[in-house]
Amino acid sequence: MNGMKKTKVLFPLLFLFFTAQGQEIDSLFSDSLQLQQELIRQENISNLSYQFRLMEEPSSELDSLFDFEETDSGWVSPKETDWAKLDSLHGVFVGYNPSLEYVIYEDIADQGGLENYLQTLIRTGDFVPGFDPNSNKIDLVLEASKDVFRPLHEYKLRILADYKLFWVTIIVLFFLITAALMITSMLIFKSQRNKRENLKKEYDELIIGPLTSLLFEKDLEEIKQISKLDLVEIFPEKLFDKPLFKQVMIERIIGLNKKMKGEFKDKLKAFYKATGLMDITRRNLKSKRWDIITTGLVQVNEMDLSELLQEVKKHTNSSNFHVRSQSGATLLNVSSTVNLDFLRDQKYPLSEWQQMNYLRIIKFVHNTKSLELDKLFRSENPSVRLFGIKLVRMLGRLDLLTGLKELSTKASDEEKIELLKTYETIGAHMEVDFINSCIQSENQELQLEAVKVAGQLGDEKSLQLIIGLFAHNPDFELKKSLMRSMYLLNPETFERYTKDQFSEEIVRIRAHILDPLLTHV
Amino acid sequence: MKKILIIEDDLLISSLVQFRLKKDGYETLILKDGNEGIKAIDEENPDLIITDVMMPFRSGIEIIHHARKEKPDVPIIVLSSLGEEEEVVLEAFNLGVSDFIPKPFNPNELAIRVKRALR
Amino acid sequence: MYNFLFYFLIEVFGVLFMILSFGTVLIYFIIMILSALEMRDFRRKNRFADYQDIITSPIAPGVSIIAPAFNEAANIVQNAQSLLSLHYGKFEVIIVNDGSKDDTLQKLVDSFALVKTAFAYNPDIETQAVRGVYRSTNKSFRRLIVVDKENGGKADALNAGINVASMELLACIDVDCILANDSITRMVRPFMEETNRKVIAVGGVIGIANNCDVQDGTVTKYRIPESTLGRFQVIEYFRAFLMGRMAWSRVNGLMLISGAFGFFKKDLVKAVGGYFPKTVGEDIELVVRMRRYMEEKNQKYRVAFVPDPLCWTEVPEDESVLSRQRNRWMRGTIETLQLHRKIGLNPRYGFFGMVSFSFWTIYEKLAPILELMGVLYTLVLILIGDFSAVYFFALLTMIYLLSLLISVFSILYEQITYNNYKDKKDLRRLIWIILIEPFVLHPKVVLWGLRGHFDFIMGKGGWGKMIRTGFKTAEDKKNIQTQTGV
Repeated sequence: MNGMKKTKVLFPLLFLFFTAQGQEIDSLFSDSLQLQQELIRQENISNLSYQFRLMEEPSSELDSLFDFEETDSGWVSPKETDWAKLDSLHGVFVGYNPSLEYVIYEDIADQGGLENYLQTLIRTGDFVPGFDPNSNKIDLVLEASKDVFRPLHEYKLRILADYKLFWVTIIVLFFLITAALMITSMLIFKSQRNKRENLKKEYDELIIGPLTSLLFEKDLEEIKQISKLDLVEIFPEKLFDKPLFKQVMIERIIGLNKKMKGEFKDKLKAFYKATGLMDITRRNLKSKRWDIITTGLVQVNEMDLSELLQEVKKHTNSSNFHVRSQSGATLLNVSSTVNLDFLRDQKYPLSEWQQMNYLRIIKFVHNTKSLELDKLFRSENPSVRLFGIKLVRMLGRLDLLTGLKELSTKASDEEKIELLKTYETIGAHMEVDFINSCIQSENQELQLEAVKVAGQLGDEKSLQLIIGLFAHNPDFELKKSLMRSMYLLNPETFERYTKDQFSEEIVRIRAHILDPLLTHV
Repeated sequence: MKKILIIEDDLLISSLVQFRLKKDGYETLILKDGNEGIKAIDEENPDLIITDVMMPFRSGIEIIHHARKEKPDVPIIVLSSLGEEEEVVLEAFNLGVSDFIPKPFNPNELAIRVKRALR
Repeated sequence: MYNFLFYFLIEVFGVLFMILSFGTVLIYFIIMILSALEMRDFRRKNRFADYQDIITSPIAPGVSIIAPAFNEAANIVQNAQSLLSLHYGKFEVIIVNDGSKDDTLQKLVDSFALVKTAFAYNPDIETQAVRGVYRSTNKSFRRLIVVDKENGGKADALNAGINVASMELLACIDVDCILANDSITRMVRPFMEETNRKVIAVGGVIGIANNCDVQDGTVTKYRIPESTLGRFQVIEYFRAFLMGRMAWSRVNGLMLISGAFGFFKKDLVKAVGGYFPKTVGEDIELVVRMRRYMEEKNQKYRVAFVPDPLCWTEVPEDESVLSRQRNRWMRGTIETLQLHRKIGLNPRYGFFGMVSFSFWTIYEKLAPILELMGVLYTLVLILIGDFSAVYFFALLTMIYLLSLLISVFSILYEQITYNNYKDKKDLRRLIWIILIEPFVLHPKVVLWGLRGHFDFIMGKGGWGKMIRTGFKTAEDKKNIQTQTGV
């Protein structure tokens, strides 16, 4: 795309360049006299010679001077390359009318051809035009006004004639420099990685022994009393000041904590707190990089660092998805009294991924901790309200139905669909009025869902509504749904309305509904 | 002295297990992947094998297969990560392992099970 | 005068090629940097990824896997079985028998105890006639649906599958590719994660299964293929997936999701009228049309890419098969760009129209033509003895070095992310391929691409008239009778 634009600019430039060259040819010399003067001044120009041509036979005296050659078109003198002699030679032809001819290599050229040739020589640098200072004595101003303005003629020609070289050099240089930079950075990256990996392995070995014996030989109270001074005895000195060493230690402890049960878990946690690894976690939480913050959050979560919950809370509305998701999960997991305020006040939409993580944790804790789930119904954030409705369904919390009823009065269509699904799952027959109102909705999606749910929870009124809709020949999807619900509510009505139908579509859908292999399709 | 093989890729876990079993007076040998494990079963004449399921090169199931074939009398205790599929557990039991300990686990509990298996 | 015109053209071409080579160098460096950044972020993200409860969570979306089958009797049962054994909670497998001439259908019926149901087929997207929808009487195959239809080509078969699909997401795959057990969970994640933009499609990496050991649906031992053509494709796939797609996904500019393994939002696929059966490039065409639809509706969207190795396929090592494949890819690209040429350089389509589309036009569609012209140009310069031929030789050398650099980096990326090819001998062989590729294999690829252009012009395949006029809007496809006039 950029290329296109560039060429558009370059075309006029190129054109200018060519026309500029054309003008130079016309105006290099104002007349043949000036040209000849220039040639005389140059004395010698490579491969350029001149000769005289006579139309009448030269006298023998003249012939002996020049040794003329007779041709079809007159008598031609031998070629002469020394232009300085031009004037003196010309003087010999008294009484004759010779014409002067320019010869380039072996060919005769007219003035235009000669100027073209000189032009080429100028470009290659074999011919440097200049003006005889003696010839400018007449009128400097007049002469100057005859001369076309040519600023820095030589330089312009050299750069323009070699613009390709210029650009190719730039491109190749750019390529070489960038390639070199990339290769070096890759090499540095690799060697740093290798170094880190090796160090990690080394530290690993150093950690395993002492940590193992510590876990078996000290009891929980002793571990809680460990001070930094004791650590120097347990682990090699100095190492404990190295960030990488601590990082490896944290990784190992967290990894072990996941796989251990009972007193070992408590001992690991106590050790984590006593040795000041928690300070690293705290620092991680204050980092600017999202992945470091998230690492810190994971550490809080795994090691139950309830002391840091205040720090965790600050991240619940982070603009980074991973940070706010992990901080929410950590809050739910670690705090003893879970307060769902953070979730209710969430500014960003809840992604399904987050919902999945929260659902897992809430499932785990909703029996032991008192969660006020109905808080979510009052959230300003639609996705949080939707999640609240889903939670009722997925946790089977019938006690929250009153909260849902309250919500349903001012719910959006999307929320209504979610409400319908929830009512269907937990079998909320008392909400049939709500279902019936949804069947009459203008929103097709909502209507479709309501018709479907009515098949399970509907009453006589639902059936009437369904029959009413069916009579209006709806589209395929809705028709199928209507017929299925009709069948579920009252097989006899279904028979009455669908048997012996002329509509090929209804016949097919009827067969579909009656096929036992397709009950849920 | 009874000899126990610990086939497990997480060195920290295996050294914890080793530490605990040494206290009970067993001779232990740590193998850090499936290939080493199979070699040790052939060469070391163990009295008991503790093995992980998910490991580099060869899975725990392969090791159990091999041990059943070569040393049918040696009891095997499987130490497996949480979330391992039921099929694997079933397959392991079908192959005749003596015990199955899911992670997270308690090394003290493991020691008791080892004692029971060796009785 | 003619003389002047000749030299003028030479100059113009010189400038064009210079701009082109400069652009190429610049663009590929940008691609390399973008893909490196994306790789870094992906690795960071993966540290925190927890896939453990996505399989069972009721929040996770349902997935309809659609696999068209045409004369696949030899392996169809085994392929269907491995699809059914994927680890995921809510999914169905729809195998569409596209009028096979062998006993593909019978094999399925026998192995899975299938019976023809009274399924009321709703041709929401127009397709060839469906002869029957089969389901199993055996509960353990409850996820399997087999659609039997008249032959209509891959796109048509996929459309029939989409009409039958009942889940929220579609996974369109080649029936013979090998999928990792956790492939659905990984591919579904981008759909679940994004909140600010709608994820309309997710593409994955395709690995090369030739000469590798496969066990339980996963490649257990990686070896590079035996043939030069096979090895060359290994590098090509590294470049395409680890560099190209990575970089484009970083700037949300992905235009192609491989037909062998792609996930889509069903409501959107239906909104644009499904696959377009009149092009040989149905995979790229669908993504372009879906993107176009979102742009026309002014909705924020994203086409995501998952770099985990999840899908493997056998690539052709036979030259004539490969040449036909590349010819088809080229025609598919030309047809798609032609159908949607309204997008090109149109600011209304944002980054997609201005950058992605232009890149494809120059570096995918026109590349073989430009390369041919470049070579001819250099030859002419040498013949007329123009001094600037030397410069162009320098440029060519530079492009060669650039291609080496790109290939080497793509291998490095592979080493950093997957490190699958552990054998040092394999790596040395790959390096050798990289060195000879520009001379030995690349000219062939260019030639196949040129043949694609030729075949397109001669009107082979595709649907000439429609492609000449192009789609007026993304939804235009729905208004076109795709089933008549075949």
